[in-house]
Amino acid sequence: MNRLPAPMGLLIDRNKPLTFSFDGTTCQGFAGDTIASALAADSRWLLSRSFKYHRPRGPLTMAGQDANTLVQLPDEPNVLADEHQLQAGLNVTPQNVNGTLEKDRDAHLGKFSKFMPVGFYYRAFYKPKGMWKRWEPLIRKKAGLGVLNLTFEPTYHDKAYLFCDLAVIGSGPAGLSAALYAANAGAKVLLIEQNPLLGGSLTYARFSLNANAAMGLREELVGAVRDHANIHILDSAICNAWFADNYLPVIQGNRMYKVRAKQCIVASGSFDQPVIFRNNDLPGVMLTSAAQRLMRLYAVKPGQRAVVLTGNDDGYLAALDLHEQGVEVAAVVDMRERVDTAGLAAAVQAKGIPCHAGHTVYEAIARKNARHIASVDVRRITGQGKVADSSTRIDCDLLCMSAGYMPVYQLLCQAGGSLRYADEHAAFSIQNLPKILRIAGSVNGRHDLQRVLADGQRAAAEALADLGLESTRVEGADKDDSKVNFPWPIFAHPQGKEFVDFDEDLQIKDIVNATRHGYRDVQLVKRFSTVGMGPSQGRHSALPTARLVADATGRSVSDTGVTTARPPFSAEKLAHVAGRAFDPYRQTAMHRRHVELGAKLMPAGVWQRPAFYGKAEDREACMQAEAHHVREKVGLIDVSTLGGLDVRGPDAAELLERMYTFGFKKLPVGRTRYALMTAEDGVVIDDGVACRLGEQHFYVSATTSGVDRVYRSMLKWNAQWRLNVDIANVSAAFAAVNLAGPLSRQVLEKVCTDVDLSSEGFPYLGVREGSVAGVPVRLMRVGFVGELGYEIHVPARFGEHLWDALMDAGKAQDIRPFGVETQRLLRLEKGHVIISQDTDGMSHPTELDMGWAIGRKKPFFVGKRTIEILESQPLKRKLVGFTLPKGSAKPLEGHLVLKGPDISGNVTSCEYSETVGAIIGMAYAGADQATPGMQIPIRVEGGEIVQATVVKLPFYDPESQRQEL
Amino acid sequence: MTCPLNGPRNISEFTYGGELKQMPDPNTCSVAEWADYVFNSENRLGVVTEWWMHTASSYWFLAERHTGSDEILRTFDPSELFNQRIDFAVPEAAQ
Amino acid sequence: MSLSIHHHAERSPIYELHGNAALTLLGERLFVAGSQSDSEQLQCCALIDLSNLPRVGFRGTDSATYLQREGYQLPDAPNRAVVQASGESLLRLSQTEYFLLGSLHDGGARIASEEASWHYDEGQANYLLPRQDSHAWFALTGAYLPKLFAKVCGVDLRAEAFSVDAVVQTSVARVNAIVVNAGIADLPIFHLLCDRASAHYLWGALLDAMEEFDGKPAGIGSLLDSATSAAG
Repeated sequence: MNRLPAPMGLLIDRNKPLTFSFDGTTCQGFAGDTIASALAADSRWLLSRSFKYHRPRGPLTMAGQDANTLVQLPDEPNVLADEHQLQAGLNVTPQNVNGTLEKDRDAHLGKFSKFMPVGFYYRAFYKPKGMWKRWEPLIRKKAGLGVLNLTFEPTYHDKAYLFCDLAVIGSGPAGLSAALYAANAGAKVLLIEQNPLLGGSLTYARFSLNANAAMGLREELVGAVRDHANIHILDSAICNAWFADNYLPVIQGNRMYKVRAKQCIVASGSFDQPVIFRNNDLPGVMLTSAAQRLMRLYAVKPGQRAVVLTGNDDGYLAALDLHEQGVEVAAVVDMRERVDTAGLAAAVQAKGIPCHAGHTVYEAIARKNARHIASVDVRRITGQGKVADSSTRIDCDLLCMSAGYMPVYQLLCQAGGSLRYADEHAAFSIQNLPKILRIAGSVNGRHDLQRVLADGQRAAAEALADLGLESTRVEGADKDDSKVNFPWPIFAHPQGKEFVDFDEDLQIKDIVNATRHGYRDVQLVKRFSTVGMGPSQGRHSALPTARLVADATGRSVSDTGVTTARPPFSAEKLAHVAGRAFDPYRQTAMHRRHVELGAKLMPAGVWQRPAFYGKAEDREACMQAEAHHVREKVGLIDVSTLGGLDVRGPDAAELLERMYTFGFKKLPVGRTRYALMTAEDGVVIDDGVACRLGEQHFYVSATTSGVDRVYRSMLKWNAQWRLNVDIANVSAAFAAVNLAGPLSRQVLEKVCTDVDLSSEGFPYLGVREGSVAGVPVRLMRVGFVGELGYEIHVPARFGEHLWDALMDAGKAQDIRPFGVETQRLLRLEKGHVIISQDTDGMSHPTELDMGWAIGRKKPFFVGKRTIEILESQPLKRKLVGFTLPKGSAKPLEGHLVLKGPDISGNVTSCEYSETVGAIIGMAYAGADQATPGMQIPIRVEGGEIVQATVVKLPFYDPESQRQEL
Repeated sequence: MTCPLNGPRNISEFTYGGELKQMPDPNTCSVAEWADYVFNSENRLGVVTEWWMHTASSYWFLAERHTGSDEILRTFDPSELFNQRIDFAVPEAAQ
Repeated sequence: MSLSIHHHAERSPIYELHGNAALTLLGERLFVAGSQSDSEQLQCCALIDLSNLPRVGFRGTDSATYLQREGYQLPDAPNRAVVQASGESLLRLSQTEYFLLGSLHDGGARIASEEASWHYDEGQANYLLPRQDSHAWFALTGAYLPKLFAKVCGVDLRAEAFSVDAVVQTSVARVNAIVVNAGIADLPIFHLLCDRASAHYLWGALLDAMEEFDGKPAGIGSLLDSATSAAG
């Protein structure tokens, strides 16, 4: 095994070995390892094959920031092997492999790369039209997107809010120092860290000649943070977006936290950047920080003989790390002419390590098996991207590369921040952030450890001031002049394979060629070439792409910029988004009774209602039987879902006059009146019955789905009108039934003794208050289903009691319950419209023949002026009743009404009615098709056209004698 | 958004009620004026005044919002603008 | 004879969810009685159905005067509550709207009579709101309340942001609701008032959210004991 002694291996527990398998062979690791680190400890560096050319790939970042480490788990494809914690027995297989990882039958694809230029797929397979459909399955198969387990059992995921004064994102030195400073001043701090271990770069980077300084500082800071009562730590948690007002989605395990932070400090650090040269993707070539992570976090010796290629001083420190851990360092290759820090080169040379200033690696050379680095070709840099002809070969099995750093800008761009490239630093910096969001540390361009710590405190002090907590000005956080980025770490090779984007196998020429095709904007370059579209989302490719595009189009890097960073920052599972979804439903007080009676339930908005009582397959028979029963005897339906509004006060009648089309001022107490509501555009939006319970008290019903809108609309209008009236939505407070049928009075008389129920004492359209079965009720005589009937409204707590009392009282009359579908048939027979079923977003009263419901002499009602304008214009369509003989094809809702070759309307309701003995329905038809007796062609299922006959509504009891009994 | 009655809340707790508009006199304005009032919105870049309702408490209020930055500058009770009863005259034709 | 809901006309919207739990009478109304182990459960995390306990609302420019005349102490700002000497909670929801929660001590008798004796007086802007019927009433207790609510509600209900007697009108598991901090000396209590028709849904959603805190339904016995000892 390839392990180093302690203190290397911060994350692993050497006492807990774990066995797992990779690509069919058994491997060993420790608890705390990732899949990739355990494999590396076993000297297995080959993890995957690249997306396009099936090139061998190994760890690049060891931080979950590249696609090289994507592997397949039994239940999950596209798992990052350098991030996924090892578990015993884990069965890991490689992805995007044809055959085995070692011998991939598609590895030859790289040789065809010159035939697969940038934009290849778009250009080759989209023409002629339709060709993509044929090519796509083949290409997808080659593209290797992993395998889904379709029998996978979902696990419980949920969401929770978290509230804090200050959220600190990132627990590197800047984040730790910011969190401590703010917490000491009394702020409640939430510290969010993506890794299981706090410390950020302190966990793997060296920072100074003293090998133990960073580790000591980390222990000190982390200890203080862990012990602090004001700091809540979320580790192994990723903040995946920034939304307005510091609304932060943070994923930890199976939970998504929705963090609400008054202030936020992003200390997200920076991404180590690769150098672009030929074969920079060979296994064994990795970021310098990756090698350091392997050593410090996992105690893995990253190689036997290393070359360090660097664009800043940090490479020298890494060389010392390698040397101290027993790796032979063959050379430090520094792209710069000189080192910034005094004594650094000397310290390295003192260990016998040769340093080559002003040089670069021009090419990495593979072993014979092509699967690992064997040596590097080192050359002197002679100009931007240019090298001398003479070369030196250095053998190595590890090449550490670092061209500099790119701030982790993604969340900040989501917050509206903009990137500016400073040529003197060859680096991007971030501006224009919202006031409640600050940045600190290397994301803010600070790299010297003392400045990073001070910058954390500086940001915390500013946040404290905005929180109204005490703070003092922090010094020493200013930017220094040191330069950590080498300006042009890009070395084109005549034979190519210098990868700019490892995920998408894009080389220098691919980016440059995209600009030559005319895609000069970096956003277009991205879409044409797919640069930055892979799993690492430009973490390594954005900076070199910006430089290449700027250079190729003769613009500055600032002007070129980077592509838009959108949420999420890292891949997130749909389970996290869907989470524990809340799906409210509403039930009436009688719901249990419906279930007991075998109701077929149907959703009505958020309500659960009985459609009819019986089995789903007996729908037609149940409906007809229930309807027949109401027509002949007595039925009971739960109408608790109806909306109800209590409108009270001196201006109650005035409010109704303004909100509804009819007049209500003259309605006598004890009477009801139909109430039709239009919007300002004259469209019918709701209806109900207004009951006058007192001079100043109306009880108004509204449709089940419309009542909230009606209530809101009344409140909004009266916020302007200032009428002296109280509007209360009492929909849920009343349970209600409609007791309907010729025998309904007989039933009611048994349980209602304090109201005169005679037809004279309580006539049709009357309303009374009294009691039924000992509980207080509001009684209305209504005619929706066209029979003698009583709507009985009762406080909801008594709803079930009322139902039981009526079902009991009606036994002698053979009472039976009926459902919503039956009620719809009964009202259709009576020609009553249901708003939003028989009306649409254009229906105005004239189309519905409801001119009778409009109070024309009123000074105002909502929609009045528009209706007047509409009435002055010719009518285009009309809602008509139609019949078809029994046995004819039955139109469905939505089927079209035709006029010659044109569509003139559509069917809104249609059922077979046993009572009428025909198929009956309502439909919109052309105004010139609407005269009773005319034929309207309706196109039904399968394209057949039936000729329906327009009839005068209603279909049943045209004199309305039955309901007025 | 900060509700004048309930304090700062998630935007999902609110219902949008459209831009604050001045209704022309429905009895005297032209058809074109009325159609403009009913169907057209300004959709201006800049600060607009809008109706919002805090759904849980059914409380309507007004908000000044910048349509460019989406920043809500101020929320206030409608009584600041609507402080007396509004009545409609009976149209002359009906008198 | 054991108590049965079917002998009582007033029913909680979720009585069937109480299964075979033993019932008890408080005044004329039925509640889940609870068991000996409840007091520990209450300290941890418990959900109690108080839907049968009387409550009523009043709204209007004359409501404050009316309630003061009836002997109530009123909160001086919206979204605050005042616990009355006799145990009722009086919530103020807006400039002119009040919500009265009955006390366990008298089984809500005072509030029930408040509702029964109110008559619409056309000279007064004081309108009764049928809150016992429009809203279900749950009490939630225990140390985990802020964490529990963070799973179902977007408002910060940690102690530092939501003190005793504070009221929020908000959305709980996507249902409009009123939450009151009614904590007493040694027991954190939130009252939750929500749409009655959604009670069946919300009870289930709350129990699901409570699972990670070992939350369970409980009866009124221990709650009444706690309230009595806190008052004493």
